[in-house]
Amino acid sequence: MSGGYFSARDHRGPLTLDCDVVVVGSGAGGSVIATELAASGLRVIVLEEGPRVEGPVHGQMRPSESMRHAWRDGAFSAAVGLGDSPTINVTMGRCVGGSSVLTGGVCFRVPGAVLHEWQRDLGLEDYSEEGLDPYVRHVEKAIHVEEVPASMRSRSTALFVEGAERLGVPIKPIRRNTKDCNGCGRCNFGCPHGAKMSVDLSYLPRAVAHGADVWSHALVDRVVTRNGRAVGVVGRLLNRDAGAPGDRLVVRARRVVIAAGAWHTPLLLLRSGLGHPRWVGQQMTLHPGFRVLARFARPVRGWQGALQSAYTDAFEHEGITLMGLFVPTGVLGATMPGVGAEHVAAASHIDHLAMFGGIIHDAGGGTVRRGPGREPLVTYRMAPEDRAKIPRVISLLAETFFAAGAEEVFIPVLGMRGLDADTFRQTDLARVPSSRIECASQHPLGSARMGCSRENSVVDPDGRVWDTQELYIADGSILPTSLGVNPQLSIMTVATRIAWRMRDRPLPALD
Amino acid sequence: MSDALRVVVPDAVLGGRGLSSGQRAVVLALAETLFSTEAGPPPADRLAWLADDLDDFFAHSGARSRSVFVLCIAAIDLLAPVFIGRLGRFSTLTLADRFTALTRFEASPMGLAFFGAKAALCIVWYEHPAAAREVGFDGNCLKRSA
Repeated sequence: MSGGYFSARDHRGPLTLDCDVVVVGSGAGGSVIATELAASGLRVIVLEEGPRVEGPVHGQMRPSESMRHAWRDGAFSAAVGLGDSPTINVTMGRCVGGSSVLTGGVCFRVPGAVLHEWQRDLGLEDYSEEGLDPYVRHVEKAIHVEEVPASMRSRSTALFVEGAERLGVPIKPIRRNTKDCNGCGRCNFGCPHGAKMSVDLSYLPRAVAHGADVWSHALVDRVVTRNGRAVGVVGRLLNRDAGAPGDRLVVRARRVVIAAGAWHTPLLLLRSGLGHPRWVGQQMTLHPGFRVLARFARPVRGWQGALQSAYTDAFEHEGITLMGLFVPTGVLGATMPGVGAEHVAAASHIDHLAMFGGIIHDAGGGTVRRGPGREPLVTYRMAPEDRAKIPRVISLLAETFFAAGAEEVFIPVLGMRGLDADTFRQTDLARVPSSRIECASQHPLGSARMGCSRENSVVDPDGRVWDTQELYIADGSILPTSLGVNPQLSIMTVATRIAWRMRDRPLPALD
Repeated sequence: MSDALRVVVPDAVLGGRGLSSGQRAVVLALAETLFSTEAGPPPADRLAWLADDLDDFFAHSGARSRSVFVLCIAAIDLLAPVFIGRLGRFSTLTLADRFTALTRFEASPMGLAFFGAKAALCIVWYEHPAAAREVGFDGNCLKRSA
């Protein structure tokens, strides 16, 4: 039995489908669930709001074309900062494969200290390193997790490593889900060579081979319940101009799995009136991230080499992880200060810029609410102890680049000119208003958290929404705390656990 | 100039509304100011290409991104002149006045609106093959057919 890929954009008239399991979202969580369940013989339908962008097209698109076609809100989504918090640009995928298509491929297992916290504070006894081992091994094999060799590091990363070594900071190689990567440094805009084993390449084709149907441009508005049991979803086909909702979509299913990500999973629950209102959309973490650019005398051409290849956890005890990355020239240009000749002159040195980033292992403070239109209103109130870490992150990054010989650094403060070492050290970073700090996130988590009691969570340890039968969640929204590291592998690990336990449970009859 | 063409994505969102003619005029004025040098403003065909591509960007990227961008450029168009003691629209000022107004606007508490607009403009601007060459980018890995 073979399924297929279908575009709701090209369908005319109402669409009604029946299946065993409907999966809302085709990213790291949804694809794993769909594949594991289809392989077990269940009839699975995957609904994805975004388009399907096939592998070769990624290699032809400029970054801004990728942003307009495969990213949510063209990469301009933001969590509005409340109080003394910066507004945070949160980037997410909106295409078949979800954010998995747009990551740097970085794969970390859930850190042991985080699992210990989950066990101790939330009673998630099965979430130990030993308990998760079979699932994480299974995923690592499926997506080909491998270490990035030092030879593939970009000069941008190599310079940071050089500075770190001079300061005695240990740097470690990153593991990524790649196969035959040639290090062309643009994996977060869709791998042009199909070398990054994102779920659209590694999982969904297997789901389809086992009979799953994957629908693009299919927007789910609401989960339908009857007598306390989820019996399907309703929504709209995005078959009007500008992707506007058009014809009605109804999917009747014996089981419903939501995997729409940490912004849209709680939104769907809120629209459906499901889940504990104390926790749905609350406690979202973001891993607020900050970048520092450094200008060197000689060309760097940071786009040559692996996009992400090295990191350090030497500051994890402070709740900070530093990690290599790079961004396209257009994004670099946007960070160059000034107007007119000053801006153009600064941008002319883009090929001399190196870049490294840092993320804060945050305590939460994000809230997802229903907003006008079909997108959520998301706010973030950074905990004071996390806010206090921002100057530290920037300082660690800048000083490491100065140790490597950087002539000046560009720190993430709107409009701030390049700073040499002396000027940087005289700058009181703690006094920079939050409204002028550039902050980005790629890791929204925890807005429909998992726990052992309906009093402190939205789903149980198996991903089942408390008090609604046959409704599951399997994405980053259920991870109950931030991880301090990139979450892709952790999401897939937890989704695998949920899928394997789900397939052993008998399905009810179709309503 | 083949790299400046847009790729056809077979399953893309059906194109819709991008920028109105008024919004396009603000984009052109903003870009001319942002990317001018001592040698003068950038070539008109590069500015037109930028406006065309931004129109395509916001026709496909969703209502919210378009709304945010429109709000940012509207704030600049209406408020930036105030920073040089003028009333009227930013897009009707001389290049020299626009430069001063925008410089002051960037440093003001409204700087985030400027950054939002500047980000969209720069991301597209530096993808033009000529702009990419000027900043030393070699088109690494872009697999366009000629």
